[in-house]
Amino acid sequence: MASTADTSLRPPPISPIRRWFISGRWSKAVVFLILAFFSFAMFYPFIWLLFSSFKTGADIVSLPVTLLPKKWTLGAYLMVMDPTRANLPIAYVNSIIVTTGTVISVLITSSMGGFVFARLEFPGRDYLFYFVLATTMVPFLTLLIPLYIVMRELNLLNSLWGVWVPSIFSSFGVFLCRQFVYGIPRELYDAAKIDGSGDFGIYRNIILPLTKPILSALAIFVFLGAFNAYLWPLVILNEEKKLTLPLIIARMANRFGGTDYQAVMAGSVLVSIPPLIVFLIFQKNFVRGIALTGLKG
Amino acid sequence: MTTLQDSPASGGQALPQLPAGRRDSVWRRFRRASPFALIYSAAILIFYTIIFIIPFGTGIWLAFQNWDFITNPKFVGLRNFAKAFTDQYFWLALQKTVMFSVVEIFLGLSLALLFALALSQILGKWQNIYLSLYYLPVITPLVVSIYLWRWLYRPTGGAFNTLLSNVGLPEQPFLASPQQALWAITAVIIWAHLGTGIVLFLAGINDVPESLFEAARLDGAGFWQSFYKITLPLIRPVLVYQMVVSVIGTVQMFEAFFLIPGPGFSTRTLALYTYELGFRALNLGYGAAVSLIIFALLLGATVFQLRRWQIEWEH
Repeated sequence: MASTADTSLRPPPISPIRRWFISGRWSKAVVFLILAFFSFAMFYPFIWLLFSSFKTGADIVSLPVTLLPKKWTLGAYLMVMDPTRANLPIAYVNSIIVTTGTVISVLITSSMGGFVFARLEFPGRDYLFYFVLATTMVPFLTLLIPLYIVMRELNLLNSLWGVWVPSIFSSFGVFLCRQFVYGIPRELYDAAKIDGSGDFGIYRNIILPLTKPILSALAIFVFLGAFNAYLWPLVILNEEKKLTLPLIIARMANRFGGTDYQAVMAGSVLVSIPPLIVFLIFQKNFVRGIALTGLKG
Repeated sequence: MTTLQDSPASGGQALPQLPAGRRDSVWRRFRRASPFALIYSAAILIFYTIIFIIPFGTGIWLAFQNWDFITNPKFVGLRNFAKAFTDQYFWLALQKTVMFSVVEIFLGLSLALLFALALSQILGKWQNIYLSLYYLPVITPLVVSIYLWRWLYRPTGGAFNTLLSNVGLPEQPFLASPQQALWAITAVIIWAHLGTGIVLFLAGINDVPESLFEAARLDGAGFWQSFYKITLPLIRPVLVYQMVVSVIGTVQMFEAFFLIPGPGFSTRTLALYTYELGFRALNLGYGAAVSLIIFALLLGATVFQLRRWQIEWEH
């Protein structure tokens, strides 16, 4: 008895395909496929980059052009690692020095700034903060020529110091950290104060650990910005042994561009590895960081 | 009595002491402030004096001079600015900049919004995988992307032309043609920056409460209708932010036009023109004037956008 009542209540049988259509899942599948196609299209240039870097010199200029190397070789990589032909290893060291210096200094100055501008009291604090913010209104392009002159006066031309100095502080970083420190309960600061901590102690023991999420997001962007920077290092550096990676890629493209483009490709692969590693390690923070920093910037 | 009252030396009078007392309190507030804050403030002030105030001041001063790094600067008044208005290369560079900027922003943001909308339909692991793939060009050093695309753009034997001839379309000169070079570079930049826009829009879309879509669906609204009526108004802040930042970013785009220029002046934008005036032609005064004009234009564009969009926002 019960079973007949059950069957009468059951919806009329429909084919699985029809159910799939009604459920609206088919539109999701179409969207999925379109996105898959476009992600392949976005990725397509990188496939060429990777395969071409394993080609021989004769292979890369041969017609018709093929995606896969006719003969796989590491020759291009050896060519760019050879100090007599390209200064890629030295540029690697230079880039790592400048990038590390920039990331460390920006993280320190930004977290300190966030603390100072959000929690500490002194006359003119807010004016100073607004001034720091206002500096972002002037585009870097406007400061390019006069900043070069200032660096010339300071004798910082053609040195990595000159690349680093203008990015010790980041007004964006200070702004970001100030917003973040506002979210840290004031009671924590007051309690530590009553316990007799100095402001530096509070910064090191309370603010620094608590601002870690925003600092890790900031670190990624500062890293990418410093590592990929082109215009300012181009203006400051000219000696081959001082160049950073993007500059050396450009020089290599001029040197090998005609016949040995596989060397440019190999160098490009090597240059892209550090940002890729950072991206893969911090992937989760990345998306959150962009949303966090981008929206509030 | 009156003379005694007027004299500050008499003491006990409240009136003349008021300003002195106020000055005292600022001083006291300084003394009460933590040394940590004061040292930090001094450091940041020195920093911005060196890399902002002095250069900005120098830039303004320089714009009224004629200087080539070697001879003494010569004051020329407003001649540098007047020159810009009659300089056909300046207008050409401005035209290229605006063309690049407008097309890059319009196409770039539209595509990013479309991709973000599509991505918002898939959830979980795959959303992240696609997001990472779209984000890859953003983390790649722009110089790498530029030379990679130059190689793909090669008129003979380039990957794109091979693709075109394989599907039976005529081969294109791309970077070698004055008409196509600017758009070829625009495509590179759109490709390189698309990921940022997608991530930001997606974050905005994901922030929209699901209940709103649910309610709209119950009321019989379709996908596009709920996009126009719910998603778009709610992600407007993201859109405004993206537009403002993109204008500032595209106008300052340098590498692409410097490293893979099209023939002649076909891709010489204001950023490249400033660089060439300052570091190639050594016409520092004129270069500084042009860069100040860029500043004024960007400031105007930013204020205009914020105003326009804020007004619409309130409605």
